[in-house]
Formats: sequence, structure tokens, C-alpha cells
Amino acid sequence: MEHKTDQTTSAALPEKPGSRFRLGGNPVLQILLLNAGLMIIALLPHLGLMRFSTMSIFAYTGIYTVVALGMNILLGFSGLISLGTAGFIGAGALGMGVFLRMGLPFELSALLVLLIAAGLGALIGLFSLKVESIYLAIATLFIGEILRQIYTSVPIFGGEFISIGAVKLFGFIELNQILQVHRSILYALIILVQFLGMLLMYNLVKSRTGRALMAMSRSEHAAQAMGINILKYRLIAFITATVYATSGGILYAMFFQNAPTRAWTLNISLLIIAMVVVGGFKSIIGTFLGAIIIYGIPNLFLKDLLGDISYVFSGLLIILVILFYPRGFVFVGEDIKRLFRRRRTAAADAGHKGGGK
Amino acid sequence: MDNILRILFNSMQTGSTYALAALGIALIWKTSRTTNFAQGSIGTLNAYVAGILLSTWGWSIWLVALVSLVTAFLTGILIDTFIIRPAAKVSPISKQIITLGLIMVIVGLIPLLFGVDPYRLPSFIPSVSVSLGGASLRYNTIFVIAISLGLMGFLFWFIQNTRWGLAIRVTAASESTAKLMGVPTRTVTMISWASAAMMGTLAALIVAPQSSVNPNMLLDVQVSAFFAGVLGGFSTFAGPVAGAFIIAFARNFTAFYISDVWGNVIVYSAILVFLYFKPYGLFGKKIIKKV
Repeated sequence: MEHKTDQTTSAALPEKPGSRFRLGGNPVLQILLLNAGLMIIALLPHLGLMRFSTMSIFAYTGIYTVVALGMNILLGFSGLISLGTAGFIGAGALGMGVFLRMGLPFELSALLVLLIAAGLGALIGLFSLKVESIYLAIATLFIGEILRQIYTSVPIFGGEFISIGAVKLFGFIELNQILQVHRSILYALIILVQFLGMLLMYNLVKSRTGRALMAMSRSEHAAQAMGINILKYRLIAFITATVYATSGGILYAMFFQNAPTRAWTLNISLLIIAMVVVGGFKSIIGTFLGAIIIYGIPNLFLKDLLGDISYVFSGLLIILVILFYPRGFVFVGEDIKRLFRRRRTAAADAGHKGGGK
Repeated sequence: MDNILRILFNSMQTGSTYALAALGIALIWKTSRTTNFAQGSIGTLNAYVAGILLSTWGWSIWLVALVSLVTAFLTGILIDTFIIRPAAKVSPISKQIITLGLIMVIVGLIPLLFGVDPYRLPSFIPSVSVSLGGASLRYNTIFVIAISLGLMGFLFWFIQNTRWGLAIRVTAASESTAKLMGVPTRTVTMISWASAAMMGTLAALIVAPQSSVNPNMLLDVQVSAFFAGVLGGFSTFAGPVAGAFIIAFARNFTAFYISDVWGNVIVYSAILVFLYFKPYGLFGKKIIKKV
């Protein structure tokens, strides 16, 4: 039985990225198909085709994807880096915990948390005008560490974790993580946010803003000479990234309904960067692929197959993908296609020769 | 007064661990152009080697320290040969993420190789202390400070005055030009990784007696070493060392006199503000780029 469940997930996976590799495919359609496919997973546990824990892994992957999308705007499009992402995911999760315990409604808490995070993002953006390269990266690490220090030592965050309990959406839909039906609905909400996040990012990068960000990442001086306001677009890049990261934290609080205080270390930030690097810079589907490779595959398959060695394997996976696919795993499809084409032309050549004789 | 002195001595000891790690990070940053996030993990791995030798065969701390430094040298060379050099053409950010993959491999390997129990390592000199200006000072602390400062002094002398030191400086300035000038840049980066691994391991050996040999023992050192590098500036080798001692002292000082909880937050925020006005650290210079 358990074997079967694994097969369904593995069968569901390659089909979705497959749609991305079709030449001339419409990106919005691809995003829609991907998320529709992921939405179906919400139903599978109820039909007995998948364990609920497997769905939780996909929920986690969705949360990571949302955060990594923001990171991709920084890394892929703006050429900037942030090592403080974990702090902002924590801000989302713990901030929700604090505001919800104060009795604020869910939507208002989310809005407040996002506003605070956007403010911090704007500060980093201002900071980035002065400080660059490794200095900027470590400056964001400072911010991550300051946030982590605050979470672990300020009593308002409640020691080990904040337990949130059932969340009330729009004032009347109460969803509790313990109930299986509710958990599926929460999962569907995460996928919905992921879908919206992907659409928003697609529109952002295809707009004037996206082109300005790319120009800035190539050469700041040239971009400035073209009349691009560096301050404005730095702010946009950092605010977007922090808002995505914090949304991930809010989703975390919503799905798991408890927020740990000690989990938000540098390693989480590095994992998020790894997702972008491994999946593919500037690619929305690639970001999802990255999250699947870095978080999904180790937790879905490797842990069952290999046990303790799984961590070593995910490390090796990161190193190997970077060594062999420096542009990102999303390009693996093109390579496979090229391989097939070469084989077909080789076969055609052979056939031609045979005919000539 | 004795409080100040005690804080000063403590800070000198923690500062030397930060300085050793930071120097390793700076060396790799200058020769390989990558941020080595795995500096702490490499040190931890080799501290485990020392721990297991000590507990199974009962060798003395001096001998196991020596062996672990040798294994550290080998780890550095292996990492450079099999992972960093093949990735020479990868983008800078991807190269940094490779060291993250390295952390995961090392952290995953540790329980497989050495089991899940933490090891104990004694200090180099058993606990005897002298009184200095009212504050008691352990011989081990003096020894640790002396050996770290001595080692760093030797490294500075080496980099400034020897042929290989010149090769390191040239590679740091421009690897492609150095290669054209006949500098064996491959050997230089290999030796940099090896010495960085040794410095990380030495930091781990200094930290170990205070807690134990466990996978997270160098987490604080690793992060603080980055901060030290930024505070001092990565463009010189002395900068990160100075930064390390400043950070160690400031953290101990604020933790003692202001607040245990907020000490770190205050220090980090102060450094951020400082960085805003001096974006290349205390001793750093702006690299002028031609457009």
C-alpha cells in the first residue's frame, strides 16, 4: 500500500514539469497546470491514495516555493543576495502567533506582519545602496541574526514555540490542523497562494520593473545612465523578497498552527538560496523544481530509502546539480531534448547511408 | 577593574577562535572568490577525529590535536580538488551554495562516522590559574591566546615576506593575471583551503573543552567570523583579525554591563550602523571599478 502511494506521487511529478518543457508553451498556462496538478494532491489522501504526511511535505514545499520566489527576484533578477531570509520567515510565523494571541483577526494580523516586514525590507534596500557584494550579504546575515536573537530571548515570543491553534479565516471559517478535511483545505490555500505568488512574479518580471531590475543586475552604472532609479528598484527588489518570505512564514503559521522560535537559522536561508540556484535563476517553474529537489525529494523518497544518509545525499545533490547544471535544473529538459534530437539525426543519417548503398 | 580584566581575557580567548575562523574565510575569499559557509563544519569534522582518537586510544591531547590538524590539511585539499576546482566556471552565488552542500554532507556524515554521542576534549593545559590584577587567569587561556596570536603573526609574516606569500597576494589580486605570470594558482588555492581547514580545526579544538565536540559547536564561531570579516574589511588579512577581537570584546562587555539578552542585538545593530558609514569595514578600501 505504501509503495503505491509513493508511485502516485512520483507519477504525478514528472508530468507537471514536462508541460514546461514543451516548446512555445504559454508560461501562464504552465503555472496554472502546475498548480492545478498540485491542487489535486489535496484530494488524494481522502481517496486513500496518499498519506497525510506526504501532503504535509507538499505543503512545506509550497511554503518554500513562495519564499524562494522572492529570493529569485533578488538573486535571479536583481543580482542581490540576502542571508536573512530565515529571519523573515520567522517574522511571518511568529508575528502571526503574537498577533493572533492578542485576539486580532487573521487577515489583519497578516496585513500587519507584512507591513512590518516590508518596512524592514525597505531598510535593507536603503542599506544596499551603500554596501555591496559580500559586505551586503553579511549585513543581511546580521539582520537575520538580530531577528533570531529577538525571537529566542524576548518573552513575548514565548520560549520554545508559540502554539496558535485553529485559525479563523474571514471571521467565520474556522480551520483546525488536526482535522483531516481542514488540513486538506489549508493545503489547498497554500497552493492558491503559491499560484498567486507565481502569477504576481510573472507579471512583475515581464513588466517595466522586471526589465529595470535585470538592467540593474547587469550593470548598475549603465542602468543609471539609462535613467533607471537605482534606489527605487533596490527598494522594490528587497521589499518584494521580504514580503514573499514573510508570506511563507504566514502560510507556515496557518498550516502547522504553531511557530517555533529557534528554527530560523542561517541554514534555512542557505537552503532557500540553494533552491533558486539548483532550480534555475529567473525561472518560476525552476524555483518550484528547486524546492522539490532540495526539500521534497529528500523528504519524500530519500528518507525512506536511505534513512540517516539522506542528508548527505541532498548535500551531494546540491553539489552535483551545481557542477553539472550551473544554470539550473530547469534546463535539464532542453538537454534531454537535444540528446533525443541528436540521436534522431544520427538515426536519420544511418538510414540515409543505408539507403545510398 | 578585575571585571574588566576578566572580560578582556575571556574576549581574547573567544576572539582568537573568531580570528582563526575569520582568517580562514578571508584566505578562501581572496584566493577562491567564494564565501566558505562550511568553515565551521570542516573544523567540527576534524575535532571529531581528535575526539574519537582520544576516547578510543587514550592518546594525549597534544597528539590528537596534531593528528586532527593533519586530517584537516587533507580535508582542505580534498575539498579543493574534487569540489571547488571543478566549479571554477560556476557563477559566484552558485559557488557559495556549493559550500552549503558541503555543510550538509559533513553534518550528515558525522553521525555515521562518529556516532551520535558528543565527545569530550580536555584543555591543552590542565586547570591551573594565576592571578593577574585581581582577575584569575588560566594557563590554558594564556596558551591559547599565545598560540593563536603566534600563528597569525607567522601567517602575516609568511604572506608579506615569502615567495609563496607573494603568490597568495598575487592570486588574490587577480587570478587570471597571476596564472599568466606563471604563478601556480592551483597550488595556491589548494594550500589556502588546507590552511583554512587547519585554522577552523584549531578554533574547534579551542572551543571544545568549554562545551563538547558536537555538530553545532562552531555555529557561533562561524557566524561571528563572518561578522569579524565584514567589520574589519576583507581587503586586508589584518582586518578580520582585528574585527574578531573587537566583536568578542564588545559582546562580552555589553552582555556583562548592559544586558545578557540584548547584548548581541546592540552590538550587531551598532556594527550595521557603522557599516552604513564605512561600507568596506575598518581597514577596507573601496575597489575602484572601471566601467
